[in-house]
Amino acid sequence: MNVLIVEDESRIAKRIERMTRDILGNNLHSLTHINTLHEALRFIENSSLDLVLLDLNLNGESGFDLLTTAVSGSFHTIVVSAYKDQAITAFEYGVLDFVPKPFNRDRLEQAFNRTITKEKTKANKVKFLAVKKRHRIQLIPVEDLLFIKGAGVYTELFLTDGTKELHDKSLEKLEQLLSPTFERVHKSYLLKMSEVREIIVKPGSKYMAELKNGVLIPVGRTKYKDIKAKWL
Amino acid sequence: MNLRLLRCFLFALILVTSCSQSPVFKRYETVFKIGDQQEWAAKNWNDEGWKSGRFVVDGGRVFWSRTKIDILKAPESLHPYGLQLHAYGEYEVFWDGVMIGKNGNPGQEALLGPEGKMWATFSIPTHLTEAGEHLLALRSSLHYFSNHTRIEELGIAYYDDLLTDRLIESSYMHLFAGAFLIASFYFLFLFLSDKKEYAMLIFSISCFLFFLLILAEFIKAYVPIHYSLHVIRLQIIGILMLGISFLIPLYFSMQFPFPKRKLLLIIYAGVLLFIFLSKYDYFELTANNMTLSMWLFSFGIAVFGAYRKMKGARLVLLALLLSVLISFVASFNKSLFAGFSLILLSMFYLLSLRIKEQRLAYETSLVQSTRLRLELLKKNIQPHFLMNTLTSLIDWVEESPKKGVLFIEALAKEFDLFNQIEDQTLIPIAQEIALCRTHLEIMAYRKEVNYFWEEEGIDLAQKIPPAILHTLLENGITHSLPLEDNSIKFKLVFESTSQYRCFTFLTFAAGVRQPSRDRDEGTGLKYIKARLTESYHSNWDFTSEPTTHGWKNVLKIYA
Repeated sequence: MNVLIVEDESRIAKRIERMTRDILGNNLHSLTHINTLHEALRFIENSSLDLVLLDLNLNGESGFDLLTTAVSGSFHTIVVSAYKDQAITAFEYGVLDFVPKPFNRDRLEQAFNRTITKEKTKANKVKFLAVKKRHRIQLIPVEDLLFIKGAGVYTELFLTDGTKELHDKSLEKLEQLLSPTFERVHKSYLLKMSEVREIIVKPGSKYMAELKNGVLIPVGRTKYKDIKAKWL
Repeated sequence: MNLRLLRCFLFALILVTSCSQSPVFKRYETVFKIGDQQEWAAKNWNDEGWKSGRFVVDGGRVFWSRTKIDILKAPESLHPYGLQLHAYGEYEVFWDGVMIGKNGNPGQEALLGPEGKMWATFSIPTHLTEAGEHLLALRSSLHYFSNHTRIEELGIAYYDDLLTDRLIESSYMHLFAGAFLIASFYFLFLFLSDKKEYAMLIFSISCFLFFLLILAEFIKAYVPIHYSLHVIRLQIIGILMLGISFLIPLYFSMQFPFPKRKLLLIIYAGVLLFIFLSKYDYFELTANNMTLSMWLFSFGIAVFGAYRKMKGARLVLLALLLSVLISFVASFNKSLFAGFSLILLSMFYLLSLRIKEQRLAYETSLVQSTRLRLELLKKNIQPHFLMNTLTSLIDWVEESPKKGVLFIEALAKEFDLFNQIEDQTLIPIAQEIALCRTHLEIMAYRKEVNYFWEEEGIDLAQKIPPAILHTLLENGITHSLPLEDNSIKFKLVFESTSQYRCFTFLTFAAGVRQPSRDRDEGTGLKYIKARLTESYHSNWDFTSEPTTHGWKNVLKIYA
């Protein structure tokens, strides 16, 4: 894993670094510590990362700018912050976990485990998906989202108004953030279950989910049983 | 509310003025002759060839005056008419040849000394007041003011009414005067409790002068004033009017400040003095002119105030206009008092407005002080400081317990210092510096940067609002990156001149970030400014700017 720590408190950064090395062990490929917002932004743009540990208050500047950039990336973001009251907002933006200060090794390990084991969130708190546009980042409300289609390392977000957006995160990562509102009905599709009108069984044991707007989404044969048990 | 009060007041005034009854007599021209013959008292004496108008009698010689009077309506039986005279001199009064009264000793003034009074009332026997022609003859002498051979006022009405009306009038006016006396004392005491409130002093003096003015005007109803002393009374009234005429615009100029105030006030004072001194003998004219100038100047100020939308200016304007209205419907004397009262009432209203403003400002300042105190307390429990410190502390304890203990000690010291200054508005500079040093110690454990603190020219006797430098230090730490040798230096320089005291707080660091208008920066600077205002009102100056070496804050407190 390639991990970036963004933290302006030197002692705390060292603590996170030490614990990260300890927890990830051989899984860790690279570990970088950056203490300013500007450098962090540049680093994120130019490096391939798996996880960013982010402090929301850097040198007196609000880290939410950095947060929107981070959550639009292909990697997962874990916020490590003194401001517990920002946790809800952070989750709405789509961070994987929020570790309040002061923290111990166990709490940090718990956060790492979410990335490693691809543990899904219990309740979907994400309100926005940050999408990279030219020179800016657009926040797309999750309620405007119909389904997501995997496209290689990227994903395509299909919206209620018929448009689609490209997202940097993989389908796995988005599934982790968006469950249980969204269900992985197919290896290439993540579907908002509240949009499903019915599931149609086509000849040859082909399953299709028909959405309220008439669009048909294929449902994987293996997934069908789970979904039937869970939703129907 | 106030407008309604004014309206009621005006209505009452009109009521009072319109109550005068139709006269029961008609007066013809008075004629004079120097000399002394008892026959001149007779009703049918031929006074053709007697002089009319003004003339001078020198040396207190006796002279006679005859005035033909028509009684239009005979009095009710057993209810005699009376004659009221307002005239200079000492005299004997003859009505249709019959002597009905005596006021002093005509012809013997020099010998017997002053006797009698300026306003005298005589009863006329009922049988001499049939409807028809009558004759009033006065045997007078003028030892003083020999050119005042005239009857200023002459009135005939029921004798009882003549006596009581004046007393009723003066008793009402004295009630009125009493109200102004109390107001005067009240605002004097208010001024004494806060010596900066000059508006209150001026209002108090104005009220007191007005009280004296009423007294001086109406004292004639119950204190006998000899005609030789009458001028002194008029002079006193003139001086009182001069004072009031100056103080009222002065007061308005304080409530509605306008450009070139001092110059205009000096010019106005000059105009008033000129009016007062130039027509010294024409008391009524002088009073009239002074009142007019006072009114014009006040009106100008009120118009300016209303134009600038100053609080209360429109009401003052209204009061001034009303006073003009009154002067049209009432006699000069009455409108003078009514007008002055209206203006004083409007001044009173202005003061009440200001007092309300002050109370609100005071309440706000209390709230502000509490807020500042809370903000100071919050410094140590706000999550950014507390949680980061605790996280670092845990780390130190886990990794190097001995250092952890030192860290805890530094933290304890900072908490202790905060505890000491928590409820103060000014603390010794030494305490503030101790606070900064402890904070640096804590931050060194957290940030692992070498912080240095330097002082220059510190005068330990100086005081400063709490946590001001501490806030600057916090900002300095938060917004700057260490130099290449991993150090940041802070330097506090103190200078003092006769005009101001100056604290310069310098940060020597690399990459000081231009502070954006985010929350933290905002609250920090706001705290500093609010604290400075709390202790020094507007007598301070604070600048904060980047330099080549880092950051520079300059705090000037003016003497």
